[in-house]
Amino acid sequence: MTFTSFGFLIFFPTVILIYYLLPEKYRRWFLLLASYYFYINLKPVYAVLLAGITLVTYAFTISIARAKTARNKKLLLILDIVMTLLPLFFFKYYNFVNTAIYGLLNTAGIRWPLPEISFILPVGISFYTFMALGYAIDVYHEEIEPEKNLSIVALFLSFFPTVLSGPIERASNMFPQFRGKFQFDYNKIVKGFQLILWGFFMKLVIANRIAIFVHFIFRDVEHNSGSSLLLGTLLYPIQVYADLGGYSLIAIGSAAVMGIDVMQNFNRPFFATSMSQFWRRWHISLISWLTDYIYTPLSFRFRKYRLLGTVIALMLTFLISGIWHGAALTFIFWGLLQGSFLSVEAVTSKQRRALFKKYDLTKKRWFIFASCVFVYLLFAFSELFCGPVSSMGKTFLIIKKIFLNLNSPLYYGSPSSILFTLAGILILFVFEWQTKGHEGHFPFLDNKNWLVRKLSYAMLIIIILMIGVFDGGQFIYFQF
Amino acid sequence: MKMEMLIEKLTTIFRKVFDDETIVLSDQMTANDIGSWDSLSHMLMITQVENAFSIKFSLREINKLKNVGALIRLIESKSVND
Repeated sequence: MTFTSFGFLIFFPTVILIYYLLPEKYRRWFLLLASYYFYINLKPVYAVLLAGITLVTYAFTISIARAKTARNKKLLLILDIVMTLLPLFFFKYYNFVNTAIYGLLNTAGIRWPLPEISFILPVGISFYTFMALGYAIDVYHEEIEPEKNLSIVALFLSFFPTVLSGPIERASNMFPQFRGKFQFDYNKIVKGFQLILWGFFMKLVIANRIAIFVHFIFRDVEHNSGSSLLLGTLLYPIQVYADLGGYSLIAIGSAAVMGIDVMQNFNRPFFATSMSQFWRRWHISLISWLTDYIYTPLSFRFRKYRLLGTVIALMLTFLISGIWHGAALTFIFWGLLQGSFLSVEAVTSKQRRALFKKYDLTKKRWFIFASCVFVYLLFAFSELFCGPVSSMGKTFLIIKKIFLNLNSPLYYGSPSSILFTLAGILILFVFEWQTKGHEGHFPFLDNKNWLVRKLSYAMLIIIILMIGVFDGGQFIYFQF
Repeated sequence: MKMEMLIEKLTTIFRKVFDDETIVLSDQMTANDIGSWDSLSHMLMITQVENAFSIKFSLREINKLKNVGALIRLIESKSVND
């Protein structure tokens, strides 16, 4: 079951109804039951994996806290990390590493093939694995006490709004809420439904509509024109944003309806004026996880090399981010590209600040606009390596055709289709420019006038139903 | 080391690393209060503090720092111990 499936339209209202009818003390258990039911619906065997990682995390976090010596604590943490990562490695990276080793041995004249494994990646594994690891590392660093109640750890990792694609939450935020009273809060419920509605708008009206173009354009790179490929390249970042951003809002909104606060995952990323600002606004839960558990320890280790240490830590962190996205050379290259962008900014930060100050650039509108466009173009270029096509060869062919074959016929589907797509994007950008929807501020939906409020809800629902694409396939980040 | 000296030394480091001559430290100050204090410049600041005060931090100590006040107390405790 996923957020855009018909099943969810039955599942979610039923869950809310039973949840609030039940006495408070049973609500956590009910949420756990509902979450496992939600996850089992995808494929029952995956739930066994989720339960396994839950038990490993539960047992090891308690053992880490109880260990008497620093050496034992470290040993237990390493064991926990290995055991938690094993399933992810097996499902996601086995074939990639297997092929690489085989290729290496083959060049040395040794033929020793291991069988290929064709399992489908369990949905959400990359997300709950990171949540489990973060929790164990926090216990190791004594930033959080280990949770003795298994149901709280189990709910943290399986919570149905976040289990499939995040936001990658932290135990320090979720445990206190799961220990709490699960009280009815009318305002939170209204906010939750607003976020869900806006999330559906982003996914169904924007992401799925753009997907029609992008899918057609990138499906046949060889035969599509340079101008069409440029259109696909420019639209793809908005598709990914509306897809994962929309998913995140539905997740955050669903949790809010049940009184649970889940962290923000995006904050108007396309209004960022630098790449470092962009990465503080894009997929925030993943980037802050990587910052805390990968970048900070690495930059601490390399701190004596000063700026060079920062660059090494950045490159390694984004390399890991690339590998997290998938086992392919394109993702690795994508990670290195992001690391390079941020490194250039880090190395030139003093000079850039001096230049901005000298000409008072940060207050000039044209400069802010140009910076946003520049960041968008850099990101759009880098995203060519993050999913739309499957190989480096195809990615380079796109780039080559954009530069050498730009003066060519443009594919834009039917006039109504491109019009609806552009209108959707325009609404999204104007809305994000004017408001802070991601923080739950919706001017029309929150209007003091009863009629304006009701009409705004009706309009949004009508737009989703009329322009939304309901057979647009799955959320992009399910593949990660 | 006297508290005034410690704060003066720390202020010089903050102003240099975060490139802002107007910074005045306070206990409650966090990265949110200084525009150029991000995860990239944070470790540069930590390294400068370690060198200036001839002390060494552990990663766990750095992770637990919640504001400038906590950093001042940590430097103070390390300077006394050393």
